[in-house]
Amino acid sequence: MPTITVKKRDLDRLFGIETNVDDLAVYLGLVKGEIKGYDPGQDDLKIELNDSNRPDLWSPEGIARQIKARLTGAPTEYPFFNKKAKSKVSINVSAGMKDIRPYIGGFIVRGVSLDDEMLTQLIQVQERLSSIFGRKRQVVSIGIYNLEKIVFPLHYKDAMPDEVRFVPLGFEEEMDLNEILSRHPKGIEYGGILRGHERYPVFVDNEGKVLSFPPIINSREIGEVRVGTSELFVEATGTDIRMILLTLNILAANLDDRGAAIEPVQVKYSFDTTAGRSLSIPYDLSKGMEVRLEDFEKVFGDSLDMMEIVRALTAYGYTVSARGKRMKVAVPPYRDDIMHTVDLVEDYAISRGYSTFRPLMPSTFSVGSLSEIESFSDRLRGYMVGFGFQEVITNILSSGDEQLRKMEIADGRLIEIENAMSLSYSVVRNSIIPSLLKVESSSSGAFYPHMVFELGEVGILDEKEMMGSRTENRLTAVTAHPQANFSGIHSYLDLLFYYTGRDYQLRPAAHPSFMEGRVGQVIVDGVEIGIIGEIHPQVLENWQINMPCSLFEISVEGLLWGLASPPPPAKPDGALRLSSASKPSPSTLV
Amino acid sequence: MTDTKKLLEGMHPFEIKVLQAFINNRKLSEDRIGEMTGLMESQVSMAIGWLQAKGIIELVEEEVAEMAALTEIGIRYADEKLPEIRILDWAKNEPGLTIGKLKEMHLLEPEELSSAIGALRGSGVIKIGQGGIIEIAQNDPIKFLMIQEFIKELDGNRRDKREYPIPKDKIKNEAIRLIYLEEYTANKRGGGEKPFKIIEKRRRIYAISGGKEDLLKDVEGLVAAEEVSQLTPLMLKDGSWRGKRFRRYNISLRPPRLSIGRKHPYREFLDQVKSRLVAMGFVEMRGPLVESEFWNMDALYMPQFHPAREIHDVYFVKKPGYSKEIDEPYLSQVAMTHNDGWKTGSRGWGYKFDKERARRLILRSQGTAVSARTLAGKPGIPGRYFSIARCFRYDQVDATHAPDFYQVEGIVLGEEINFRMLLGLLELFAVKMAGARDVRFLPAYFPFTEPSVELHVKHPGLGWMELGGAGLFRPEVTMPLGIRVPVIAWGLGLDRMAMIALGIEDIRDLFSTDLDMIRTKRVRI
Repeated sequence: MPTITVKKRDLDRLFGIETNVDDLAVYLGLVKGEIKGYDPGQDDLKIELNDSNRPDLWSPEGIARQIKARLTGAPTEYPFFNKKAKSKVSINVSAGMKDIRPYIGGFIVRGVSLDDEMLTQLIQVQERLSSIFGRKRQVVSIGIYNLEKIVFPLHYKDAMPDEVRFVPLGFEEEMDLNEILSRHPKGIEYGGILRGHERYPVFVDNEGKVLSFPPIINSREIGEVRVGTSELFVEATGTDIRMILLTLNILAANLDDRGAAIEPVQVKYSFDTTAGRSLSIPYDLSKGMEVRLEDFEKVFGDSLDMMEIVRALTAYGYTVSARGKRMKVAVPPYRDDIMHTVDLVEDYAISRGYSTFRPLMPSTFSVGSLSEIESFSDRLRGYMVGFGFQEVITNILSSGDEQLRKMEIADGRLIEIENAMSLSYSVVRNSIIPSLLKVESSSSGAFYPHMVFELGEVGILDEKEMMGSRTENRLTAVTAHPQANFSGIHSYLDLLFYYTGRDYQLRPAAHPSFMEGRVGQVIVDGVEIGIIGEIHPQVLENWQINMPCSLFEISVEGLLWGLASPPPPAKPDGALRLSSASKPSPSTLV
Repeated sequence: MTDTKKLLEGMHPFEIKVLQAFINNRKLSEDRIGEMTGLMESQVSMAIGWLQAKGIIELVEEEVAEMAALTEIGIRYADEKLPEIRILDWAKNEPGLTIGKLKEMHLLEPEELSSAIGALRGSGVIKIGQGGIIEIAQNDPIKFLMIQEFIKELDGNRRDKREYPIPKDKIKNEAIRLIYLEEYTANKRGGGEKPFKIIEKRRRIYAISGGKEDLLKDVEGLVAAEEVSQLTPLMLKDGSWRGKRFRRYNISLRPPRLSIGRKHPYREFLDQVKSRLVAMGFVEMRGPLVESEFWNMDALYMPQFHPAREIHDVYFVKKPGYSKEIDEPYLSQVAMTHNDGWKTGSRGWGYKFDKERARRLILRSQGTAVSARTLAGKPGIPGRYFSIARCFRYDQVDATHAPDFYQVEGIVLGEEINFRMLLGLLELFAVKMAGARDVRFLPAYFPFTEPSVELHVKHPGLGWMELGGAGLFRPEVTMPLGIRVPVIAWGLGLDRMAMIALGIEDIRDLFSTDLDMIRTKRVRI
């Protein structure tokens, strides 16, 4: 979620009082904000905003508005949301836009004198809203223009790419829409949004002058706003009408906070929208909610005072009227994140302060326990430690190079990551053997003998499984020293089976990672649950290990439940066990 | 027993050997003692240390000797060979080889290449023909072979852990000792990359302390082997221990290191967490490493267009890309909740839920996925559950981001659950997990809880820190999964506490493959 940089004095100007940074840190709790740094020299305050559903807070105006409401006990009123306001000018939307980028809205701003700081913040909030909230302009993009150069009414219409030519921002020459997409940096960055359309959106004034090519770029002549510009036209286009209206409401409120006068603009569609064919913008989206006192009381497990709730909600920006045990709550027009009563309940709690609630302990009794597989795993870890092995915990992500090439395995199948960030972490390990050889490879300086084990998770591809793979616990142990050999490691495996009360056999096997004639499958009830042997010198060489290594790897599920028997019934207390984890198939075990 | 006898009886065989070396010599250097006694350098210096402590011998002179040793480059040349020799080998194998070609091949650093060519030309081993062709003028580059031989000797000593730097005046090869060593020695001001360096070593000369000369008479007849150091079963069986002299030990020495069995220090920490949670009545739950987007995100009411669901945040599985059909009625109920809120009292996200996308497979990115599965698995009510789940995020791996990491998460569900109990539970975590009594509750945002809280605690050692996040699951999460009671969801950020407990600063070290580090880490829990 966004981290924004604002001037502290700009925030103070918006509050109307001077604050200190410590007080601010406390106030920022009201907006789920956190100070990430303050540079007194530059007066730069870095604030992280955690609520991804509150784009209205991603600007100094929004932060100040929320905190100011709490300080004054009442929300700021914005006259332009009054539905009776008459708009004198309009935007016409062509029928062809319905299937390209259907929605647009805008408003006029007068009497603002843009200084440096205001212009910076305006551009930054425009950028944040269109990139984060507007999903990289896909859903919402914003244009800001110099009002003086525009002749109303405006036309938002579809055009053939070679039909329209204008000079885009940042260039000196006229281009048609295709040229902009192929040559202009913004065209290259955002052109994908229009891919597949034969006709593109253009936004022109009544004299045919191009304002912009949404959502790509503004015209250089009309769409360049400088310090000192006092009259603006603000517009948003996109694919979600609610999000466009909200975006414009936020921008209108922000500019009003800066002392500007907002004038509405009428948008006339040639097709039906969920908000009708003709609407005046800024447009108040909120319907108002009916909530009951008990909705609040239930969440806090306490009886609450109705008037106190009304006060707290009002101080958080809501307009509330109470009747009996019910309230009618109007959500401020610059917010559209109230989906459920619980959202109001949280705002009440934030406004009142979390510290004002007395914590309670849950009083019902419950019996804790580990999962069967985890407590068995702990038992095995205990034995291994007793046998003299050092436990390691290594990463589950690995590479094909480590899992296969270095192991001399030609035809292994791994769970691969499609969008891996680096090759070193591009697959899920399907065995812990490479992890332990990696430990050996990086530990030749640690004094010998090395007796090392890991009991941890691996992922095995298995098309019979719901997820196309299963997660399994493996116990893998290695001995590395000049005399490390099969019989040495076999003694430990044998002890492990003895103490866990299981029978097993070893069946000679062939495995490319091990020395021929010194490797065996570990068989329980006729099914393979693991492998034991001396690592092949070629594999040791691949890992640059200069010490003989013998090891075993067994499936913990296989040892616990036996792979041949059906998985045990689920525990009655409802604790989940991975039903899938109990049945590794022999072919993919190692 | 005379004092002298007692003194000798308590001596280590090394000490006796060293004393015997002094019988016909008034003064001896450490080197010389080594040669005479056949003891290793470290053994000699140990024995000298003990004898000095007892006032039997003393340091009488100290002189500085220059010794030849290998630089990093020299150690490398022991394996790779000198650039001069390599160039000759290449030129022999490939007649017509030019300097330009060598440069392009990047087999040598540019400075290495030019200085080696210069040296070869200077000693007349090669000539440079037209177009930079390397012509071999002299097939027996004896100088370079001698240097290589000396590198090998030093490197051999180094690897065998024998006395490794060789005193300059003891270098057998005269040409090396007198000429080449200097030419191939890195000068102290750091000029040039050379294989040898000269280190200065003090050579100490010892003599028997005044008044202790008499000891030598008694030492003369003593044979070190006569002393018994270990009592054996045989001695006990045949009684021969009677009348044997057992050497006295210096019990202030450090004991030898052991290779032992031990849990991983991070495991010790996690076990503690696990047992505390079980003691608080939590039941462990488990889930798979490969998850569908459904359980990882959809079921947690994160809209499918949520920014944290993109390829820059989550790892997607290549093949198979999709899970099998997701269990009903959960899939439809979650889909309807996203669309328009279904029966949850919510207005929903207002978009068309994509059921295909829900089956997309990813690596579990948050432990809350395990909680979602538990909710759909008809959990016991009231109930408390936890998991310690390995999670994966698309992050650049660095000191604060491990490629995979543990999340400790859980849920508490029951008819009586409310926001104040959530605060109570967090207070309990603060005491049990961090030993902290001072807590702060701050508003927080998680897509799946409302109200949401961040828990900050005043840790006795660390000061104020964030310990975890929690909240009441939104009805949009619980109802589609068939849960009708309030549910607390909590997560603890224990990485930082684990790192403090283990005394490490880089999160990657929690999953280190360095055995020495793992063996020596202590845990302060």
